[in-house]
Amino acid sequence: MSFATRVDEALADRNLKLAVERTAGTAEAKRTLAVDAFPDFDAARDRAAAIKDHVVANLGHYLQAFEANATAAGAQVHWARTAQEACDIVVRLCKAANAKSVARSKSMLGEEIGLPHALAEAGIGRIETDLAEHIIQLSGERPSHIIWPAMHKTREQVSALFKASHRAPHEEETIAAMAESARRHLREGMLAADVGISGANFLVADTGAVCTVTNEGNAELSLVPPRMHIVTAGIEKIVPSTGHAVHLLRMLSRSATGAPLSQYTTFYTGPKRALDRDGPEEMHIVLVDNGRTTMREEGLAEMLRCIRCGACMNHCVVFRQIGGHAYGGTYPGPMGAVLTPAFDGLKQSRDLPNACTLNGKCQEVCPVRIPLPTLLRGWREKSWREGLEPASLRSGLGTWAWFARRPRLYRAATATALRAMRLMGRSGWLTRLPLADGWTRYRDMPRPTEESFMAQYRKGRRS
Amino acid sequence: MTARADILARLTGTATPAGIAAEAAALLIAPERPRVDPAQVEETFLARLTLSSVAATVDRIATLADLPAAIARYCADQSLPLTLCVPPDPRLGQCDWTGFTLHDRAAPDEPAALAIARCGVAETGSLVFETGAAAPMLPNFLALHHIVVVPQVVAYLEDATLPGAHPRAHYWVTGVSGTTDIEGTYVRGAHGPRFLHVIRLG
Ligand code: SF4
Repeated sequence: MSFATRVDEALADRNLKLAVERTAGTAEAKRTLAVDAFPDFDAARDRAAAIKDHVVANLGHYLQAFEANATAAGAQVHWARTAQEACDIVVRLCKAANAKSVARSKSMLGEEIGLPHALAEAGIGRIETDLAEHIIQLSGERPSHIIWPAMHKTREQVSALFKASHRAPHEEETIAAMAESARRHLREGMLAADVGISGANFLVADTGAVCTVTNEGNAELSLVPPRMHIVTAGIEKIVPSTGHAVHLLRMLSRSATGAPLSQYTTFYTGPKRALDRDGPEEMHIVLVDNGRTTMREEGLAEMLRCIRCGACMNHCVVFRQIGGHAYGGTYPGPMGAVLTPAFDGLKQSRDLPNACTLNGKCQEVCPVRIPLPTLLRGWREKSWREGLEPASLRSGLGTWAWFARRPRLYRAATATALRAMRLMGRSGWLTRLPLADGWTRYRDMPRPTEESFMAQYRKGRRS
Repeated sequence: MTARADILARLTGTATPAGIAAEAAALLIAPERPRVDPAQVEETFLARLTLSSVAATVDRIATLADLPAAIARYCADQSLPLTLCVPPDPRLGQCDWTGFTLHDRAAPDEPAALAIARCGVAETGSLVFETGAAAPMLPNFLALHHIVVVPQVVAYLEDATLPGAHPRAHYWVTGVSGTTDIEGTYVRGAHGPRFLHVIRLG
């Protein structure tokens, strides 16, 4: 299915729009409160970006330091160039452990490399332990948001899924009762799993620790009881020390949910020690490249700063209209529109960078200051250079045309574009216009008035 | 070439280890963070515990000898039996547990577990733990009621980090297990504890 078709389907789904608005809107409001309560947040973002840039610049050094320290703590470190190599390693480890079932704690990297599919192909049972991932597993869908993967599901849909699959499902139709049903069901699975699989929010170079962050505590319940803990982590997840992780944790939780810190932050260093009462006998860490070294070499190094907080999508006018599935990749929203062409190829995903108003909101809220609009523009220009745009859109109005054919999206987009244009306006005249790139290359446009014509018109009619 | 060699070959740099270490250290000088008044560390910690995102109840004891009575008060408040999962921590040996039924392995549906944190953190209201022979991890996640003794409070998260070699797990608990995964509605006790009770020691 093409991107355009997926977008049109999403736009026609009123439930989806409500669901996305509710969750993203709440996240936006909570982030604003959290940032207002942190006076130096802007300077803190500069520091967060600098920490990540320092790591990306010295990535080889830090990966080797991490490997040495994790190994010294008793973990085994594996390296994977591609998604396939990473999945092969995990499947091989699971088979060596004679694993019948694995408990997986939500990891976007796991989705990125297709781990759920690889485990299924190998005949290894998998239970997703994050509540939203559990819902997604039952419905056979992909996550629609990196923090709230089931944000597109209504309570009625969740209820039906649980009733069809839980042994002793809820009787009362309340969200609390549904969560309780999942608690009973998933706890059994977690305590019975042979292997626990997680991602990593951070890999701490100087201790060899792997850090996970959750609000549910499902990571710990998935990773402590089984005999083996396998981590799959992107190589950019490295931080020099726990202190650097602390700084990024402050940014991550505030940007994601507005909390000063998520409920459970755990640093795992190696397997169970000789006298420990619990913990896995073996710990394996798979360091995954899957295109990251190429991104670093080919102009997308800034994207490797991403800490997967989801703020850019919560604040994106396009995401708020179409939700996550329409993007078609593992990662939705602005960060997804930058990452998907890198993972899947520009030819298949060249529409994604076009589905952006370049209003700059994502960059404004990104805790590590990734210049998302600039990176998206880079993809657009590359798509042009490589002649991937169809002839009908080569007039220079590709993006404009994309929006103009979707009136609801167009209205939402132009409302924020006006804001961006005011910011960009110099002495009342613009030299660059986000929705009409090709046009302003040759002529200037007047700076817009404070409200769009439609908004002024509606106001005029009311007064 | 192995995957490791391949990846590292693309990540070579010219910086020296000493140069990298100096730059990394400079990135941690005077970090921006929500300020904790040094004269109000204790008060700030207690205030954080009552925030809706943490939502802990709090009691206070002078010595560990007072712990069983404090836990009995909490159990009475919550209509819980005096049955408790306790870690094999020698410090708890000095308590008189008459009237309690104690065990040290958590059941899958454990009602209440006791733990001693290394410290509390005023900045966030977090409780800091490390695993060890006397400190298993699983009970703190299985129990419905998580009862935590806090002997010390520090100002910032940085003050809670561990220098040197780490135990298997070092973890910060900031509230109870919660989820907003169904229609954005907040539910406590998603997987782990639904209630957090902090007993400040000293
Ligand atoms: S790009 Fe920035 S805002 Fe978006 S998920 Fe990554 S870190 Fe968060």
